[in-house]
Amino acid sequence: MAAIGNRTRDRVRAPLDDVPALVLRTVEFGEADLIVHLLTPTRGRVTAMAKHARKSVRRFPGSLDLFNHLEVKIHPRRRGGMPLLDRARLLSPFLALRDDAARYGLACYVMELLSRLAPEEGVGPEMRGIFHFALEVLEALEHSRPDERMRVLVELRALDALGMRPELRNCVRCGREVEGPSVHFHVADGGVICRRCSRDEELPLRAHLGTLRALEQGLRFPLAELSRLALSGQSLAEAHAIVARFQRYHVGLELRSERFLNQILRSSGGAGPTPAA
Amino acid sequence: MRGSPAIDRVIASLKRLPGIGDKSASRLAFFLLGAPDSLVADLADALSRLKQETVMCADCFNLGDRTPCPICSDDRRDDSLLCVVEEPADLSAIEKSGSFKGRYHVLGGTLSPIDGMGPGELRIGELERRVRSGGIREVILATNPNAEGDATAHYIGDRLRPAGVLVSRIAYGMPLGGDLEYADHVTVGRSLENRRKFSD
Ligand SMILES: [Zn+2]
Ligand SMILES: [Zn+2]
Repeated sequence: MAAIGNRTRDRVRAPLDDVPALVLRTVEFGEADLIVHLLTPTRGRVTAMAKHARKSVRRFPGSLDLFNHLEVKIHPRRRGGMPLLDRARLLSPFLALRDDAARYGLACYVMELLSRLAPEEGVGPEMRGIFHFALEVLEALEHSRPDERMRVLVELRALDALGMRPELRNCVRCGREVEGPSVHFHVADGGVICRRCSRDEELPLRAHLGTLRALEQGLRFPLAELSRLALSGQSLAEAHAIVARFQRYHVGLELRSERFLNQILRSSGGAGPTPAA
Repeated sequence: MRGSPAIDRVIASLKRLPGIGDKSASRLAFFLLGAPDSLVADLADALSRLKQETVMCADCFNLGDRTPCPICSDDRRDDSLLCVVEEPADLSAIEKSGSFKGRYHVLGGTLSPIDGMGPGELRIGELERRVRSGGIREVILATNPNAEGDATAHYIGDRLRPAGVLVSRIAYGMPLGGDLEYADHVTVGRSLENRRKFSD
């Protein structure tokens, strides 16, 4: 992948056209510069240098801030250096994410997840999917306050967008559709297993078939309509266990923003999503 | 020029500073090597005193040479106004403006979950205690007007609500020397929302 990447980069040295981008993270650099981690639908995750961004009023007015949806022009990397951000135009700042700790916490969590896992300089349809997912999450959070249910479904959608979707319907060993009312989920094998393929010595997670069906629906619903999904009490606890264990095993990342998210969701006591303001 | 452990050690130390890469670190190291002895001795002395002689004010958490700091011990200042800032550098910036005569509270950063900064890493509990101990009429939230600063201000506003104190936020608007044509639409919108009466 690296070899092909290098050659492609040499050929596309001319500045790119304006592309949409989301700001995943910014890091101050030197006296006046800013390193900006961007997610784009066409080039994946791009880390670019915005020269004089912290001093100049004119160059990047108000645009290089966390969660901002931008249109940017990037100069590809010079020899050994970082790509340069040429200009950035603000499309949407998602200001409501700043007004509420739960929205802010979940948005930060998703931004961190993508800044660690979205492919760098990636191409192809999966990049569009990741970008679309990120934008959809920020838009949904702009309109509703997340609860534990939304968090689980957003995590599942993130896994799906990153190409790591758990198998929720067919046995991962024999391919047969699993039957309820209680089913086994095998974390390491990445999905449900039917009774015939279950082995005594294994300790799979148990869940109700209804929980898995709700998760499947959660993958198909527009994020803004997730409040229509029946997932609470026992089945929310099962869903949470499946997604969290699956993520820990297959992604293997400990995200720094998780602590804040847990703290905020716990203290806000699982209130349902509020209608759009 | 390789092979001097002393030079390598200085370069390695400088590289650990924010914003200093390989090139800047070795440029600075060789500059110091060629500089007058007095300059190097002054720098070494200043660095070794920096930690020893700097103390944090127990009231406002500003950095200085004593606690309480000169601002907290100045009895001409207004006890009923409390200005909350992210860092000591922000406090200095407000002091330089000369427009504020109340007291300060330095948070020590912003809510930045991605950097592992949660409420427990900031001096928010200390702020609540100060407000609850009475005598404060207004808390001015002067965190920076970016995502982290705004989120921190909202979070603190919510935490202070039960205390029943007036909480205000510094204004958003056009910067001095700015240009409407080049400003982003959010800044333009906010400066219209925050407009003020111009003449009677
Ligand atoms: Zn099977
Ligand atoms: Zn003080």
